Amino acid sequence: MLRTEHLTKRFNSFTAVDDLCLNVAAGEIFALLGPNGAGKTTTINCFLGFLAPDQGRVLVDGLDVNTHALETKRRLAYIPEQVNLYGHFSGVENLAYFNELGGARHDDVTLRKFLCEAGLQADAHDRRVSHYSKGMRQKVGIAMALAKSAKALILDEPTSGLDPSASHEFTVLLQRFAATGAAVLMATHDLFHAKQVANRVGIVRHGKLVHALTAAELSDADLERLYLEVMESGQP
Amino acid sequence: MIATIARKEFIELIRDGRFRWAAAIVLALLVTALLAGAYYQRDLVKQQRAAQAAEQARWYDQGSKNPHSAAHYGLYAFKPRLAPAFLDPGVEPYTGIAVWLEAHKQNETIFRPSEDATVAQRFGDMTVALVLQTVVPLVIIMLGFNTFAGERERGTLRQLLSVGLRARDLATGKLLGSAAALALIAGPAILLGATTIALIGPAGGELRFMLLAVAYLLYLGIFLFLTLAVSARSSSSRLALVVLLAFWAVNCLLAPRIMSDFAAELHPLPEGVAFKARLQAALHDPAGPSIMMRDRTAELLHRYRVTREQDLPLNLAGLSLQVGEDYGYEVFGKFYNELYAPMEAQVGLLQRAAALFPQLGIQAISMGLAGTDLAQHRDFTRAAEEHRRAELKVINDDILEHPVKAGDMHFGDHDLWAKVPAFRYQAPAVGWVLSNHALTFVLLVLWFGLAACFAWTGAARLRPL
Repeated sequence: MLRTEHLTKRFNSFTAVDDLCLNVAAGEIFALLGPNGAGKTTTINCFLGFLAPDQGRVLVDGLDVNTHALETKRRLAYIPEQVNLYGHFSGVENLAYFNELGGARHDDVTLRKFLCEAGLQADAHDRRVSHYSKGMRQKVGIAMALAKSAKALILDEPTSGLDPSASHEFTVLLQRFAATGAAVLMATHDLFHAKQVANRVGIVRHGKLVHALTAAELSDADLERLYLEVMESGQP
Repeated sequence: MIATIARKEFIELIRDGRFRWAAAIVLALLVTALLAGAYYQRDLVKQQRAAQAAEQARWYDQGSKNPHSAAHYGLYAFKPRLAPAFLDPGVEPYTGIAVWLEAHKQNETIFRPSEDATVAQRFGDMTVALVLQTVVPLVIIMLGFNTFAGERERGTLRQLLSVGLRARDLATGKLLGSAAALALIAGPAILLGATTIALIGPAGGELRFMLLAVAYLLYLGIFLFLTLAVSARSSSSRLALVVLLAFWAVNCLLAPRIMSDFAAELHPLPEGVAFKARLQAALHDPAGPSIMMRDRTAELLHRYRVTREQDLPLNLAGLSLQVGEDYGYEVFGKFYNELYAPMEAQVGLLQRAAALFPQLGIQAISMGLAGTDLAQHRDFTRAAEEHRRAELKVINDDILEHPVKAGDMHFGDHDLWAKVPAFRYQAPAVGWVLSNHALTFVLLVLWFGLAACFAWTGAARLRPL
């Protein structure tokens, strides 16, 4: 569903993503682990069409992002580290707005149902988003993906700054979303969250995918050791 | 999709406390300026009508007297105010609104409101034109500078573009939404202005008012587009605000002063004292009228087939007076042209400077449609002068046709005074005004088009990174 083929992206002399090959299948959660500057966000920007690859291809549901920009975006949902919404609007109004812009239309009852499914309490639906916590905003982001019936979900550091309870709630939601058959690509620093939620974990360094393992193949200690080894090795 | 964005933009602005405050302040300023202008206009129109009627009655009822004394007795001609004049007083506070018509002199207009201004008024009158030309553009900037830059900073632009929204649709929606919110200010203002015009009159200003509304919408549209364009192209909303405020300050505050000074430097007016001295010297040049008098006397002698002046059945004093006036017309014409030529050159330069500063364009068009620009002032003085000449011709012809014996005096009466028609001034048609300001209109439309292109291309290149 989400695929990169020898993706390379450079900024002047700096290579942010280097010959990256990824494949996230439908129903799979893939966690992309790596330090700052490893190329995780650049990869996501290429999936979103915000950056054009210098080499290689980025595909969503078999469609090249560069040649089918609108079609691929219609199939994607994106949740950044901080879900940015309009503070003067309520949760349900924000959901309705982004939903309509994404090409879908749902009535008010259905929108509220998505918000509830995403875990947002009913009494918060009509409250202005400026009063929402980060976790509540993330839930609106999930509701957007649900309402859009997205085939793939891309997340950039989604649990950063969430308290453990909210993080756990978010993990459950993600797993439920993947269970609907959607592919999930998640960039994160959080080793243990990645291990907990993902079916597969990839470790990137200097824009290269240096390890890709299934969660079942690793214990927490293995993952931490592997990650630190890669980070300290100074080379991929 | 565009409608969805426009609706969201509109609602967001309405819910924003800044907009509500700004709208309330602008509407309060507009209402104050409208009411003050309307009150002044109603008062002035009433006074002018009463004064013009009293003047005419005084002329008719001046009793029996020497016609030349009556010519010196004179009368005032008042420039009738057009209905939209209360929106923009233009040059009237400085040029005056009445002229004293008398023998031998082509007087300048008098009753200049600026002469009666208090110290506080030196800082400028609160007029509708001032609010629309200066305050409303500032409000547009304050409300719109972060339209795109703010979305980028908040991260919502990334969110928006990630759902498959085209940047141009976003720009169009935002433009429509912002315009709809601004219409909440402009709509009641236009309605109030139209109602005020209908109530206070005088009648006939509807077309001028409508064109004024169009011109101001064009001008404010330029600011709306520029605000969106700068916001789309700026890396931060702070930078957008600084750039837009700099443009506002230069366009609305500096350009009118600097360009006026530059125009005055380039096309200086004749120095006042020397000008008046030269005018007086030319008027009192004995050579001028004497040749004219000799030729016209010869013509009369020939017409009446006599050889001596005393054999003419005419009073040559009347001819002498008319010759003096005719000579004066030439002199005044030459000198007033000398005075008005640099003024008109200055105005022309200011109008062309609208290519750089749209404020100068809307200023010129606004005064023109309000009937208070220099061209219409000059048209009034021309009409008043024509009336003076017609009046003096009637008087001097009457003197000419009534020969008197030495020591006797001819008297005119009500019948003679009634031969002088009442002064009726018809302001130039809207077409004449538009043709005077055709270049300025074109420049404003060009500004509008360029600002729209600037906004369009800026929005098309919107990037979330």
